[in-house]
Amino acid sequence: MKKALVVLEKEFLELRLQRGLLFATLFLPPTMTAFAVLAFFAAGRFAANLNTGGVPLPPEFAGLSPQELGQAIVGRQFSVLFLLLPIFIPSVLASYAIVGEKRERTLEPVLATPIRTWELLLGKTLAALIPALAITIASATLFVVGVLSFAVSDRVRNLIVTPGWILAVLVDTPLLALIGVALIVVLSSRVNDPRTAQQFSAVLVVPVLALLFGQLAGVIVLGPALALGIGVILAAVAAGALWLAARLFQREVILTRWR
Amino acid sequence: MAHAIETHGLTRRFDDRVAVEGLSLTIEAGTVFGFLGPNGAGKTTTVRMLAALIAPTDGDAIVAGHTLGVDDTALRRSVGILTEQPGLYDRLSARQNLRYFARLYDLEPARVDSQVERYLQLLELWDRRDEPVGTFSKGMRQKLAIARALLHEPTVVFLDEPTAALDPEAARTVRDFVKGLRAEGRTIFLTTHNLPEADELCDSIGIFQRRLLRMGSPSELRAILFGAGTIVRVVGDAAPYVPVARSLPFVREVRTDGETLTVQLDDPDSRNPDLVDALRAAGARIRYVERLQHSLEDVYLRLVGGHE
Repeated sequence: MKKALVVLEKEFLELRLQRGLLFATLFLPPTMTAFAVLAFFAAGRFAANLNTGGVPLPPEFAGLSPQELGQAIVGRQFSVLFLLLPIFIPSVLASYAIVGEKRERTLEPVLATPIRTWELLLGKTLAALIPALAITIASATLFVVGVLSFAVSDRVRNLIVTPGWILAVLVDTPLLALIGVALIVVLSSRVNDPRTAQQFSAVLVVPVLALLFGQLAGVIVLGPALALGIGVILAAVAAGALWLAARLFQREVILTRWR
Repeated sequence: MAHAIETHGLTRRFDDRVAVEGLSLTIEAGTVFGFLGPNGAGKTTTVRMLAALIAPTDGDAIVAGHTLGVDDTALRRSVGILTEQPGLYDRLSARQNLRYFARLYDLEPARVDSQVERYLQLLELWDRRDEPVGTFSKGMRQKLAIARALLHEPTVVFLDEPTAALDPEAARTVRDFVKGLRAEGRTIFLTTHNLPEADELCDSIGIFQRRLLRMGSPSELRAILFGAGTIVRVVGDAAPYVPVARSLPFVREVRTDGETLTVQLDDPDSRNPDLVDALRAAGARIRYVERLQHSLEDVYLRLVGGHE
């Protein structure tokens, strides 16, 4: 376990030295959140003549004033951002931490030390998960504060900051992040470019986008039961993905099978 | 003398391909062992097995007192390895690179900084200790990778092509460093294509091509393959003296080229006076006599060439 922390410390040190990566992963999400809050604020002020153009809206939006409707639509759309961040951030970080290390041929000297492969994998996983979850939760908190402060009514607040959404952020996003990291490890055995790994891992976005569109179309209501149900499914997928990642992340396999 | 490395029938297969076949060897502690062979001969696979990076398919080995496959973590703690590629973190400084590995090698926290400083000083990198490794020359990177392999003071060190692609000055520094390691009593397992280097550094040599073709000290290998010999240069054509030399009972083979007679014989030190006397009695005027010296390259090419 001690060596996992040594790996984690080294990963953070390297992250600090990669300004572009640092900006993309740590500074972009709060900036996007600030933009979301600004858009939410503006929707409440300037949506007096909102025309939805006949697009079907969720039933719970019925009876909202134009300003409330504007904020509800903007708030719902941006709330999904916090389910996407934990997919993107760890995928980017893990790509550089694992595929980058493979490309630079630094894995063999590390594997020659007395480190156990699970310690190395744990260190790399934590190095991707910790910043991703920290920045997601910080950004989500900022978003909640913005929504609670600038919502034109309590009804709007209750439509956006729902128990289902909170549960999804707290339960589902760490699992999505874990699946993202495991997927990168699996992809690492085949690809040599961090960007290629990221592109493949972007496939994880599809179910989240389905959730967004389902919500906006009124087909899906993200309540606590659905958030927990999704969590159970994600936990099973994460377990499978981690099992596969652990099988591929072995000294023997890395040195003889990874190409 | 104790054995630092001992292998018995060490074999590694990759699916249907046999990379290393029945390798049995013994390397004494405190010596430099040269492991020579062509590209793709299985040298890196052997080093990876002995450093407990990959498991053998068959056979067993004891390295630095640890049986392979029993406690590989302890084995890895007792050996150092310079991999074929230096594999350094370019964004980190030399000091940060070494500190990371010192901690992975379980050095006590109090020793980490002192060991890092010791090896950066020894390999003349101390002045550049806080610069990113990405700015280092190839030679500096190689020296840093060697420092990394030694931080935890291993008793057995595997060096895979330590001077490959280095300029002559950097290569000399590395060779001197290897000699220093031997003087400290460490065992060096040296993989190289540089045959003069192997000749200079190695106490024993194994010539390897999927299996061990021959093993011995450089001089033993020369004697086994070519026998001992003497070169005699005479005034004028040497051909008339070939029958004279061949008539001597201790002479095994005689070749001639212009003024030169190349004579293979047992024990030149005691037989050369008799050879010279016989040639002079036959009328030869001798310019000089010298020892026939085969290069390690001759040995290597004969062994490897015969198995290709």
